[in-house]
Amino acid sequence: MTDVAVNSDTNDSASGDERLAYRGVFTRMLVRPEIGAVIGSAAIWLFFWAVSEQFGTAGGLSGVLDVSATLGIMAVAVALLMIGGEFDLSSGAATGALGIVTILLVKDIGELGGAGLSLFIAIPLSFIVAMALGWYNGTVVERTGLPSFIVTLATFFVLRGFKLGFSKLTIDNISVGRIDEGHGFDFWHPIFASVWTRNDHIWDTRDVAYTVGILLGLALMVLAVYEGNYLRKKVPNVTGLVLFAGGVVGTVVGVLLMHNTNGVSGDVISGLVISGSILVGLFGVALWRYEPVTGDNHIHLDKRVLELTGLGVVLIVFGVVCALVVDVDGQETILNRLPVAVEWLITIAAFALAGGIVWRRNGGGTSGTDLGTVAMSAARAGLVGAISIFAFMFMTTEQGLRAILFVGLATTGLILLAMGALRARRSSALSGSVILALNSAAIAALALFIQAESGHEKFRTEIFSVMMFGAVVILAWAIVSGHYQQRRAADHEADRLSTWLSGIGLVAILIGLISRLLWTTSDEIESGVAVANFRMSILWFIAFTAVATFVLGRTKFGSWIFAVGGNKEAARQIGVPAAKTKTQLFMIVSGAAWLVGLLLAFRLQTLQSGTGNGLEFEYIIAAVVGGTALTGGYGSVLGAAIGAFIMAMSKQGIGLALWNSDWRFAFLGVILLGAVMANNFIKAKAEAVR
Amino acid sequence: MSNLIELDNVGKFYGNIIALQGVTTTVNAGEVTCVLGDNGAGKSTLIKILSGVHDHSEGTYVFEGEECTFTSPRQALDRGIAAVYQDLAMVPLMSVWRNFFLGAEPTIGRWPIRWVNKSKAKRIAKEEMAKMGIDIRDTEQPVGTLSGGERQSVAIARAVYFGAKVLILDEPTSALGVKQSGVVLRYIVEARNRGLGVIFITHNPSHAYPVGDRFLILNRGQSMGNFAKEEITLPELTQLMAGGAELEQLQHELEQAVSGGA
Repeated sequence: MTDVAVNSDTNDSASGDERLAYRGVFTRMLVRPEIGAVIGSAAIWLFFWAVSEQFGTAGGLSGVLDVSATLGIMAVAVALLMIGGEFDLSSGAATGALGIVTILLVKDIGELGGAGLSLFIAIPLSFIVAMALGWYNGTVVERTGLPSFIVTLATFFVLRGFKLGFSKLTIDNISVGRIDEGHGFDFWHPIFASVWTRNDHIWDTRDVAYTVGILLGLALMVLAVYEGNYLRKKVPNVTGLVLFAGGVVGTVVGVLLMHNTNGVSGDVISGLVISGSILVGLFGVALWRYEPVTGDNHIHLDKRVLELTGLGVVLIVFGVVCALVVDVDGQETILNRLPVAVEWLITIAAFALAGGIVWRRNGGGTSGTDLGTVAMSAARAGLVGAISIFAFMFMTTEQGLRAILFVGLATTGLILLAMGALRARRSSALSGSVILALNSAAIAALALFIQAESGHEKFRTEIFSVMMFGAVVILAWAIVSGHYQQRRAADHEADRLSTWLSGIGLVAILIGLISRLLWTTSDEIESGVAVANFRMSILWFIAFTAVATFVLGRTKFGSWIFAVGGNKEAARQIGVPAAKTKTQLFMIVSGAAWLVGLLLAFRLQTLQSGTGNGLEFEYIIAAVVGGTALTGGYGSVLGAAIGAFIMAMSKQGIGLALWNSDWRFAFLGVILLGAVMANNFIKAKAEAVR
Repeated sequence: MSNLIELDNVGKFYGNIIALQGVTTTVNAGEVTCVLGDNGAGKSTLIKILSGVHDHSEGTYVFEGEECTFTSPRQALDRGIAAVYQDLAMVPLMSVWRNFFLGAEPTIGRWPIRWVNKSKAKRIAKEEMAKMGIDIRDTEQPVGTLSGGERQSVAIARAVYFGAKVLILDEPTSALGVKQSGVVLRYIVEARNRGLGVIFITHNPSHAYPVGDRFLILNRGQSMGNFAKEEITLPELTQLMAGGAELEQLQHELEQAVSGGA
């Protein structure tokens, strides 16, 4: 029995090379549980940005962040608990309860129910109450072995009853106030409720910091992708470095040119200079550092690639045609604009179509299917089809239809082109980059079309520049990926460099964004920019998420959380204190509820007895949207934070888009289902790639 | 050759039920002791006594020359007796290195700012797996994506690394295919060669015979004998395990049935 023999056999049994193959940067990113939430939040942000004037401004974002802070702190804690395999349905009610406890502790003794304590005593005291609550939940779950669902549901009702009963009994009122009567309020108020008013902070060179931050960040991210994906040259090529330097200088010159010229021709020229320089710079880096493709690199496009590409182009053209044909100013709903005959025609068509589908499903009448059954289900299907078509037409204006058709068709077309590029890559790198270049051209064409046609200024400027920038980067990527060899094996040094570059790039982008969010310029004040208030709760949210991420990913306790959620018996066998870990998780949730309770109490001064009731499901939804498994053992804290951000966006966005806020719940339902399906799909894809 | 474990007439009663009686065997360092028996023979009870889940009701359990009565698995583990259960050993969604170090993660820093030394943990996990003959490229890979045999080997490597002197393997091959079973048998030999005493519980004599140095056969809670390898052959082992005479009778009946049918 030798080592060699063992080796050969295990290599055999491990499912071959596929599992040992090197995974590129993108695949590794896809394996992260929070990727679905990241993509979802970007899509939802874009959606509300497009439909609402307010949403994309600093004021809109401050509102969204405000809502996501209190929601997110709880979602993060609940995600930890869910990864540990338990639920806490009392978490929502606990936020209000712990806030009320604090207020009752500081109220004057003269009033019924007040304890008249100083906040310096009341705050630690209510923290002890919170810990006791979490300990109680955890201990009961562990001792009785009952599902946490039942135990915490009981706690929820008890808390709810106590909140209502107690506040009615003592102060005969369902709202409990006020915390500012307490001693030490002036000390604690800034810690929990200070506000950063953007309009009071003027910084005229802000836009420079913003532009530099964003450009530097994007450049570093692109370099990181290169470093992670391509095979490095043994001997670097100095010409490439010179080209790269030239590209950087050109980009800077272009940006300066754009800032110092007014008018369309200046913008076009500087735009050309910037994009040209970016192309040269990126190509320069590749020439300098990476190994070119050797051997046969012919262009070969098989039938499927041609089909995908052709269909993609057709869809994009069709989308453009739709946008040109449909009325630009049609504010009325479509149903109002149609003659009665057309309505009837659509109804009959819907019935016929659905009927036909059902007929074919049931065997088309050839086999011995019951004609009555077929007719009944056909009628049902037809009714549903007709109703949904009418509902859609009832809700959509012609303008809306135009936007939906254009965006839907163009996006589908671009996705098909990208799929074509991926498939073409299989035959040769060059084939892939040809289709990728086509993709870039399509994006650029769409950007020009939007600039020419759109009625909204923000589409003509912001969307146009972002799309053009995207087209340039994709074109550069196409050129480089066609000429340079991809890395096939793990390279520790390159991975490290790639991680560092993308990390620094992300920080640079964040600095740029934050400077734009927190400061305003004199010009903006003059043009009457809306007020934006950033509250302390946002900092608490960020800090809590950061600490929780560290705990989950890097500490013993974090490993134990995964273990008790994934396989509690195994964890116990190995020596993980499973019951203790779970109880501590319940205490973390109630600790978070205490923090949120204080944030609410200090901000509102007074709390309703119903505060927080029913929100526990929103925390769970946020965690699930962020990629946490309902079954435990899998998930992400960062994902839960982003999930909370998504929920807050949908809450605020619907208000800012001036829709009826009742639609919020319908929206939430769709998001929940969509996010979970997307997460599962991505997870399955990622597992397949492994 | 030092005796790690000596069992003398060990038995276990649950109330008036005799689960195990009269078990006598030894486990030596660098040897594999196989415990064979059909379903209900008392194998699980024996493991539970050895690994400290239950204490024994009669007889003596001597570990490293010292008589002992364990009352929890943790006590047995601290003395160096590690049990690897077939399905309870791993957290499938967790990465290999996290599973490897679960409950005993190496850390940097002082409380309250103390974190897991990830690179060290990953490196050691990789090295230890390599010593067992498994080359894991990516220790971040979830254990659930490993094959059954590899999962067992992670558990074995973990037990070996954390200073186990005696390794108790509960039916490690029962859910595996022929090839995977072969892989696990090799890890058993590997662990033996590294000087551990291995207790290999199985109901498959053809798995036990090639790797075992000593065989303890159980039937209906009774010890059917304790043999060194040179004292017994594979057919004898098989026969004893199934209860000797009973099997002969069964064989006889089967032959009659077959010839009668033909």
